[in-house]
Amino acid sequence: MDLSVQQFRSEAEQALLDLYERSVDALPGDASVADLRQSAIRTYAGLGLPHRRIEAWKYTDLRAAIAEIPPLLAESDAPVDGTAFEAAFGKAFAQLPAYRVVLVAGAVRTELSDVQGLRDAGVEFGALAQMLESPPEWLMASLDAASASGDDVLIALNTALMTGGVALRLPEGLTLQKPVHLIHLDGADTPGSVYTRNVLVAGEGASATVLESFGTLGRAGVQRNAVTTVSLAAKSAIHHIKLQREALETIHLNAWVANVGADARYDAFQVSMGAALARNQVSVRFAGKDAATDISGATLARGKQHCDTTLVVEHDVPACESRELFKLVLDDESRGVFQGKIVVARDAQKTDGKQMSQALLLSETAEFDSKPELEIYADDVVCGHGATSGQIDEDLLFYLRARGLPEAQARALLIQAFVGEAFEALDDEAIGDAFAAVSAEWLGSPAE
Amino acid sequence: MLEIKNLHAKVDGREILNGLDLTIPAGEVHAIMGPNGSGKSTLSYVLAGKDDYEVTDGSVTWKGEDLLAMEPDERAAAGVFLAFQYPMEIPGVATMTFLRSAVNAVRKARGEEEYSTPDFLRTVKEKAKDLKIDMEMLRRPLNVGFSGGEKKRNEILQMSLLEPGLCILDETDSGLDIDALRIVADGVNALRSPERCMLVITHYQRLLNHIVPDRVHVLSKGRVARSGGPELALELEKSGYADYGDEATAA
Ligand SMILES: Nc1ncnc2c1ncn2[C@@H]1O[C@H](COP(=O)(O)OP(=O)(O)OP(=O)(O)O)[C@@H](O)[C@H]1O
Ligand SMILES: [Mg+2]
Repeated sequence: MDLSVQQFRSEAEQALLDLYERSVDALPGDASVADLRQSAIRTYAGLGLPHRRIEAWKYTDLRAAIAEIPPLLAESDAPVDGTAFEAAFGKAFAQLPAYRVVLVAGAVRTELSDVQGLRDAGVEFGALAQMLESPPEWLMASLDAASASGDDVLIALNTALMTGGVALRLPEGLTLQKPVHLIHLDGADTPGSVYTRNVLVAGEGASATVLESFGTLGRAGVQRNAVTTVSLAAKSAIHHIKLQREALETIHLNAWVANVGADARYDAFQVSMGAALARNQVSVRFAGKDAATDISGATLARGKQHCDTTLVVEHDVPACESRELFKLVLDDESRGVFQGKIVVARDAQKTDGKQMSQALLLSETAEFDSKPELEIYADDVVCGHGATSGQIDEDLLFYLRARGLPEAQARALLIQAFVGEAFEALDDEAIGDAFAAVSAEWLGSPAE
Repeated sequence: MLEIKNLHAKVDGREILNGLDLTIPAGEVHAIMGPNGSGKSTLSYVLAGKDDYEVTDGSVTWKGEDLLAMEPDERAAAGVFLAFQYPMEIPGVATMTFLRSAVNAVRKARGEEEYSTPDFLRTVKEKAKDLKIDMEMLRRPLNVGFSGGEKKRNEILQMSLLEPGLCILDETDSGLDIDALRIVADGVNALRSPERCMLVITHYQRLLNHIVPDRVHVLSKGRVARSGGPELALELEKSGYADYGDEATAA
């Protein structure tokens, strides 16, 4: 196969092609899936890994950051149990009442998962690897749509190399009473790459909360590429929530891609606190009128962590509403990136789009880069964006200390208050409490 | 109980306190009056330990200990409480959470047991009732959207919860309506005891009708220009600070 479109390739870029060549025969899927993989790897071969001269990757130079490509993680026998969940995500999170689905190296660990519960509730559910062998139409449609988006290298690589994940469809009118919790827990003794694809499809009027948590076992470097596509039919609602608390050796690449039908609601919430380098993409396209999205979350980074959140909202149709609020707490030499793009098509009148990112810098060497982009082709719209960055307010700190709070506790309280505003997007109390607990743990103060 | 000697303090390189002497024996209430900008709030911040205020000379002894060597939270634990002239608004921190963290931090530092949740709630309810503070208000973020009077009452609530030995009230009466003034004064009077002393900063005799001071001091140009009994406040109400004119304008 001729894959030499790109003129120069870094070692890692070549290694990714080699990884594909070595693995392709064993990758799951029928002929149609194989075709998708083939065209995706060509896309990648043409573009290479994104670097800082690519506008969407201006602040996150993936080509420079990735030196080696570890082999695909095999399904391991690493012990995964309640203790491992608590170690990875903290007690409150690990114990959230949910239909739990545990994925190790992309494979569903059935003995740890409540697949039966999901099916009893009326959800069509399958492990992706099996489903790819004879994909139902709705699954193929989602895979095709993701591939059609073209030049996103992260997604192209995912399509080429995906080994697992889940496919989940909510039939028309179904409201799931408990959240679905997809637990991605990987790595142990040897470094490895993990490519997972989750496909969520909500039928008309269906609604559910889907949590995804990402953690690691042990400290061996994991390179994760995880993509979730969400397709929302008219009047459906998905609340999509993520906790990323991976070991500091991890490279975490994640993309959520949502296509939102009329009168539907897609809300995304993400908290990132782990990994050496994290790239979180959320892209939402409105395909039907009167739909809405709220994308919010927080980044907590210290040391030399690099965390990039890149959002794209495409208002293709009239009368949709988008809200974005991200809070970044950056300590030491960490770097936080927020890129938010709102595109309003010519026909998308009555669009209401707002975006805000706020960084709290806890050290002088921490860095916050913010890039809002509004591309507006309609005239009757309300769009706004803002970005702020600042330090802890010394007057507030003094007020708290004058009331007896030791400095560390006073700081932690102020940081939590700063982040807390983004947490207001969580209407489920148990989930809100679980996030408050993990962020308190990050701050080193005991949870209340 | 509190002994301030020859206190000099600077802000942004500017000398604001300029050889201030003041002693408050246990059980006494002293009022400080003085023109705008004479250094009253500065004194209260220096006593509470605010960072930007640099003490260049003099000493402050509290219960025999060097107050100036302590961190702000250590001073709070040692019993110093400042009711702020302008209480801070902190979005995202529920007033109740704040009260509880503060009370338990101070109790812990004093070697006392932390309150259990029901005990704490009961105590807050009682004291809030005395100060006519609605419990609903305490569920809101600290001071955010509180009216001027509500903020001041919230300060007195904190004061009574933290059981300080030195109460410094910086213009707690400003912004209070007549009823609120009486409620706050009653709250303060309830805390008067032989083990406590108080420093009440005010511009108006009105407050001192309710909280009758043992001594009144006039601050001017960063030092105590005159001291006297409660009648001094009455005199000032009539004559103003004209007699301190030079110094006041110089400050
Ligand atoms: N952070 C600061 N930087 C510069 N100057 C300051 C600062 N804080 C206070 N000052 C100055 O110090 C002087 C004393 O201020 P202070 O607030 O102590 O006065 P005050 O007696 O409390 O006045 P008021 O009656 O108006 O409350 C003022 O001239 C003020 O401008
Ligand atoms: Mg003042």
